Amino acid sequence: MGVYIGKRVLSIIPIILFSSFLMFVMIRVGPVDPAEAYLAAAHIHPDDEVLAAKRHEFGLDQPLLAQYVQSVTRLLRLDFGNSYISNMPVWEEVAQKLPATIQLASASILLALVVSIPLGVLSAIYKNRLVDHVIRGFAYIGACVPVFWIGYLLMFFISVKLEWLPVEGRGSLQHLILPSITLALWLIAIYTRLLRTTVLEELKEAYVRYARARGIKERVILYKYVLRIAIAPLITGLGMNLGKLLTGAIIVEQVFSWPGFGRYFIEAIVNRDIPVIQCYVMLSVCVIVTSNLAADLLQLFLDPRIARKGRAS
Amino acid sequence: MFASRGKRLLQGLLVLLAISMVAAGCSTNNTGNSSDAAGEQNAKTITMAWPRDIGPMNPHLYNPSQLLAQSMIYEPLVSYKDGKIVPTLAESWTLSPEGKVYTFKIRSNVKFSDGTAFTAQLVKRNMDAVLNNMKMHTWLGVIPLIEKTEALDDTTFQLTLKEPYYPALYDLAVVRPVRFLGEAGFPEDGDTSKGVASPIGTGPWVLSTYKKDESATFTPNPYYWGEKPKVDKVVVKVIPDAETRVLSFEKGDLDLIYGEGLISYDAYKQLESAGKYVTKLSDPIATRNLVLNTMNGKLADLKVRQALSMGFDKEAMVEGVMLGLEEKADYILPPNLPYANIKVSPVKYDVEQANSLLDEAGWKLASGTNVREKDGEPLELELIYDKADLTQKAMAETLQAEWSAIGVNLKITGVELTVYIQRRKANEFDINFYSTFGAPYDPHSFMTAVVQQGFGVSDTLAALPMKAEIDKKIKEGMATTDDQARTELFGSVLTTLQEQSSILPISYIKQIAVYQKDVTDFNFPSNRDEYPLYGMDKK
Repeated sequence: MGVYIGKRVLSIIPIILFSSFLMFVMIRVGPVDPAEAYLAAAHIHPDDEVLAAKRHEFGLDQPLLAQYVQSVTRLLRLDFGNSYISNMPVWEEVAQKLPATIQLASASILLALVVSIPLGVLSAIYKNRLVDHVIRGFAYIGACVPVFWIGYLLMFFISVKLEWLPVEGRGSLQHLILPSITLALWLIAIYTRLLRTTVLEELKEAYVRYARARGIKERVILYKYVLRIAIAPLITGLGMNLGKLLTGAIIVEQVFSWPGFGRYFIEAIVNRDIPVIQCYVMLSVCVIVTSNLAADLLQLFLDPRIARKGRAS
Repeated sequence: MFASRGKRLLQGLLVLLAISMVAAGCSTNNTGNSSDAAGEQNAKTITMAWPRDIGPMNPHLYNPSQLLAQSMIYEPLVSYKDGKIVPTLAESWTLSPEGKVYTFKIRSNVKFSDGTAFTAQLVKRNMDAVLNNMKMHTWLGVIPLIEKTEALDDTTFQLTLKEPYYPALYDLAVVRPVRFLGEAGFPEDGDTSKGVASPIGTGPWVLSTYKKDESATFTPNPYYWGEKPKVDKVVVKVIPDAETRVLSFEKGDLDLIYGEGLISYDAYKQLESAGKYVTKLSDPIATRNLVLNTMNGKLADLKVRQALSMGFDKEAMVEGVMLGLEEKADYILPPNLPYANIKVSPVKYDVEQANSLLDEAGWKLASGTNVREKDGEPLELELIYDKADLTQKAMAETLQAEWSAIGVNLKITGVELTVYIQRRKANEFDINFYSTFGAPYDPHSFMTAVVQQGFGVSDTLAALPMKAEIDKKIKEGMATTDDQARTELFGSVLTTLQEQSSILPISYIKQIAVYQKDVTDFNFPSNRDEYPLYGMDKK
């Protein structure tokens, strides 16, 4: 098991290095010159002298390889440079904004679990009955309706028409409700369907039949045996979805004026603020890779057969 | 059957959720509305939305400092009002006969928001700080022409130019970079190009509370030399999304929506039709023009340009694309700008005439085809536009349809803003959109674009037979101290350009304002970059 874990952990390094290279190339081959974008954003006429000065300031006049080596060595020191726009260290700004994003993401995950576990189980138990149809309909809608649109709908009905909650901003618990519901909806949709499928599959397993034959109560079978196993894919799902949650947070933060990391990233894209974009992409890669790893390892503890399979292959 | 266990699980998760929310909520060092509302129940507050954080409020720099905050905190020597330059921090000024030396009499009763006096020495200090970072400011005509700045005494400041330049005062009236920071606002090394110590200005407002990326609250400057603002507070909330701004306004959280492009024309119409709010359009502030590149052989022909000018229905475009919120433009510059009121009969929409002009120019439409040809070459042109600008996209599509009716195949290419700027600078396009700057930048900024390369205008006019003459007149007009002569010179330039149909006016851009009915004394500012908050009141 130790070898398997070691291998999995080490496999992160090439992934992150490759991502950093890919990101570097993609940003540099784009048609947009950050110096020019900066001047456009500041409404300054980009004459050649000003442009050259800005390019020099941003280090864009260096050879590409030198720029890449510099960006990797800085990355290793967690130094993402200064934002082109604010001239502040990117890492400092990110650190200020991360708590808001983490708050939103964790509230959404919790909300998703709280809602999807009972829904998924109910849907499985009442398979093909009205409850199941309603829940599946809900999950279907939740999965295919765009996040921002749900956000606007909630704002319009809950905040503007009913005046129950604030439209936007951050500061109180009330402010958190609508954005986290918006961000949680697609997770709820995914988890509900996932759980329904796995519960149904597990209920067909032989151990369930034996348990029933032994006269164990249906409730005990469901909670003690079935759910424990059925929840495992949910953990993998969560690990895999963490990255997607970050991208979802970008939209939700924008729509609800939530002052987090995602909104910071959007502004950076608009302004071609490359240090910020790099920081965001690298952090996202790290979050996705490590959360996948964490989910795998967690699975390993729930089902040690995985390590044996992993070693055999 | 499993109700009790399920309930417990649910309860457990709910408790967890609540704990996480409260814990996270506590860490946000809450300065929400509730805390500062206490004791200020009767305070008159105007709340508005802004798409971005107000920034570091550096008077001498650009992005991310927002014009909004800069114009509230800092003041210029002179201001632009209804086409004229009026005294502000300078009470009066004189210009030497050769037009190079401006002597300003500084208002003596002005104090900064920290109580210190505003002096000619500080004018010089600020001006020098700007000049030290010259490269960033060369776009503003007066900056590279400054030869000397002097404080003759506490209330006399003298500015010497290398050559006469009539728009000097107009340039000094813009919101940035020539505005004035108090002594205590300067960083230790005095170099404001790297940042300011604190935003100390002479303007009517001071920043009282600030939560980066969330909101900024301005209160009246206790030392303000002019009339005090009528409201007690202006709250600027950061709301990046346009739809959210509208919803927040509809809920009553915002008193005012003002600023270019802050909400869509659809949203404006919707708020207008609701009948619950006040909606207003300003006078024209700038013009959207099409620039036809005369360096393209097809467009070098005056008849082709005239045909294109006649071949589309501006009125329909203004109604259809801009929902009537912009006005059909007959002139390259709005006539309410200085020196821009010229007498030329505007081009009328006339498809028949357009067709016959193209025929005369040798572009024939063969039967059974849709595109005109001359010597085997089709009449194809490319229009580039900024793909993020939805209005430009819709306008491009409309033009494509309109011109196809006169046998012109218009290819429309949406490009990224920076690519757009690059192609414009390199003169790599047939047709392009060009919006004028508005007050207080025009007409001189437009004239500069006509003379100087790199703005996407001068190069496109290069094939006009009278280009050299146009340039000469502009240079003379910029340098002369004789207002009448300038009126004639600029008038003649604008008339020629209009007749040459290389720059086709489409519509006049207007500012839009939407506010709640209890807001009073709203007036559109003359300066495009200023905001109407000073002087506003609330019932």
